[in-house]
Amino acid sequence: MIDQFTDVVPSFFGMLNQGPLTLTIFLHTVIILPMFWIYKQEKAKLQDK
Amino acid sequence: MLTSIKTNSLTNEGQKLGMMYIRVAIVLFGAQLLMGLIAAIQFIVPGFLFEIFDFSVARMVHINALVVWMLYAMIGSVYLMLTDETEHNVVAIGLGKLAFWVLTAAVTVVVLVYIFIQVGAGSESTIWFINEGREYLEAPRWADIGIVVVVLIFYWNVFATYMKGKKTGIMTVMVANLMALAGLYLAGMFFTDNISIDQYWWWWVIHLWVEATWEVFVGTLAAYALVKIIDAKREIVEMWLWIEVLMLFGSGILGLGHHYFWIGTPEYWWEIGALFSSLEPVPLVAMFVHVLYDWGKEQGANGTKPAIKNGPAMAWLVTNAFGNFLGAGIWGFFHTLPQVNIYTHGSQFTAAHGHLAFFGAYATILIGMMYYGIQRAYGVERMRATFKSKMAIFLITFGVLGMTVALTIAGYEQVLVERAELGANWNAFFTAQDLPWYIQAQIWRTIMGVVTFIGFIYLVWDLITIGKEAKEAQV
Amino acid sequence: MANENVSVWTSIPFWRRSAAWVTGFASILLIWLTFDTLGQISMGTDSDLKNGVTKRVPAPTVINYHIDYKMSQKRGHEVPVIGKKEPFFGKEWSPKEARELLHLGKLTSQAKNCMNCHTLLGNGAYYAPDLTKAWLDPAWQKGGAMQGFTGKNTTEEAMAEFLQHPSKYATHARMMPNLGITAKEAKGLVAFLKHMSSIDTNGFPRNFSKTVDQFKAGGTNAH
Repeated sequence: MIDQFTDVVPSFFGMLNQGPLTLTIFLHTVIILPMFWIYKQEKAKLQDK
Repeated sequence: MLTSIKTNSLTNEGQKLGMMYIRVAIVLFGAQLLMGLIAAIQFIVPGFLFEIFDFSVARMVHINALVVWMLYAMIGSVYLMLTDETEHNVVAIGLGKLAFWVLTAAVTVVVLVYIFIQVGAGSESTIWFINEGREYLEAPRWADIGIVVVVLIFYWNVFATYMKGKKTGIMTVMVANLMALAGLYLAGMFFTDNISIDQYWWWWVIHLWVEATWEVFVGTLAAYALVKIIDAKREIVEMWLWIEVLMLFGSGILGLGHHYFWIGTPEYWWEIGALFSSLEPVPLVAMFVHVLYDWGKEQGANGTKPAIKNGPAMAWLVTNAFGNFLGAGIWGFFHTLPQVNIYTHGSQFTAAHGHLAFFGAYATILIGMMYYGIQRAYGVERMRATFKSKMAIFLITFGVLGMTVALTIAGYEQVLVERAELGANWNAFFTAQDLPWYIQAQIWRTIMGVVTFIGFIYLVWDLITIGKEAKEAQV
Repeated sequence: MANENVSVWTSIPFWRRSAAWVTGFASILLIWLTFDTLGQISMGTDSDLKNGVTKRVPAPTVINYHIDYKMSQKRGHEVPVIGKKEPFFGKEWSPKEARELLHLGKLTSQAKNCMNCHTLLGNGAYYAPDLTKAWLDPAWQKGGAMQGFTGKNTTEEAMAEFLQHPSKYATHARMMPNLGITAKEAKGLVAFLKHMSSIDTNGFPRNFSKTVDQFKAGGTNAH
């Protein structure tokens, strides 16, 4: 499942790059997740009005 | 010719300055097209101007005139909207005008040196005084520094006026985005022996301009134009603008990775570049939907009678919505995945994408802003498209689309034969360039270039006359 | 007054905050990635070459070594292979000399505006061949068409001769113009090209100069 590291030099991002799209999906997730929190906060604010 | 566009009805000095920038932009646009024609002819008649005005020179002026006319039209557009949005006069108009003249003088000198001196010896002084030899950023170092100073003056004007005046959502995005846009230029201002590092930073400027900050700039201009031209409701427009900023920067900043597949940079850029840049078309769809929705549903939402106040500007805005999606979105996505890009990188595919993207995403909306500026300059209530406006938009759009299709076909030929079949060396390159279908495509590209140029003549003719005619018809 | 039917999706503050978050965080990630990448693509040292340490961008003294471009089973694409020492313009270049020569070559490549006809690492204009692996092109090797044409005995001398008199050795109607490249600048340019061919470009250009049989066998036509 976990691919062998293939790039020239190991690095943090290289480690996350473990086969099909692992790195980019990880980055997308950490970018998008906090938006749920922003959503909830904004919803609470709107409902308070 | 330039002074045929009058600004008598403008009382605002900032807007007058905006029109000064727009006049120069029109001239540089013409220069860009002429240089493109020379370069296109050289593809099919290689002896044309050989060792007099070589392809490298024509192409350098072609792409530099492109970037500079767009920057001029962008600065002009900002000066047009600045007082409208902030309800405050431009803080340092005298300095702004001085900066305009300094920039224009510098651009003239740089272009003359490009054309008449062309290349220099392999020394630092060439980089400082003749050209820097880095695609798009050829401007010699002295001019780089001059550009930075002039842009700082421009930015100060925008920032200080914004701080003193009303802070609309549109202007907030504009001010923040312009800072990033101007700051990024610094990343392209140094020399290194390491070509990988050279190109790494070079892409910071090129990509983060055209696939991030310029796109946000276009979104901001479109928002302003929709409010002004069809009286769209500001809340709707601003909500869309923030969505666009979110998606454009969300995909565009790390989408930079699609330029880091093959320049010596680590393999992890394959994934980052692939998925982030694949999402770059999404905001462009959003912009397309937004403009069309507002056109249909938001006209006169401010309580006025539904009307398009500026026919040609609106037509170019809609062309922008479509062209941005098609040229930047679809044609970009064509070759953004590394699995495809390993074959298409640096081929006529790139040229096809470049032509339609720069036109669709930027030229269109900036031409729209030129029409909008003229409407204001002549104090016209409602400006309708003339026959010339229609010829201009039809011929230019048709011409650029034609060039794009021709270059895409040339790209296919090149990629399959040079890259896939023969393995990308010197001989493979020329074998592909000599293919009958490749040559045919280059001929069509040149023909379509001529069509575009005829459209440009109509455009200039229209820009010079439409204001006066509309004003007379109104009275 | 509590309103149950509020829509966050049409709320400007929601989109504004999300835009600020996404832009800010993506920028931070990019800066982090930039530090990581710059570390990996800064030039190696002469001792890296001597000790066989693989660098994405080797030291300028790589011009003293034989360079090849081979399929790597581990990487899944072709990679530059730095081999035994070989003379470059008839001598071995010290680290200082090599650095100065590469500096001259890189400067010349910009001063002569190479990038507005050619592509370097695939970036530039599309009027002339890509130069990424030009050093490895069979045409410039012994027995290759260009080396024979220029009447020289080594790749570097053939390339330098061509660069000084490009239209004299034209092979196609589309010629390279005379750019006033001096003998010294030509040497620098060849060093720049040789160095560029040693950069690990993750397999671009794929399939360089190969036939299908050679590709399957993992070999190349590059020497």
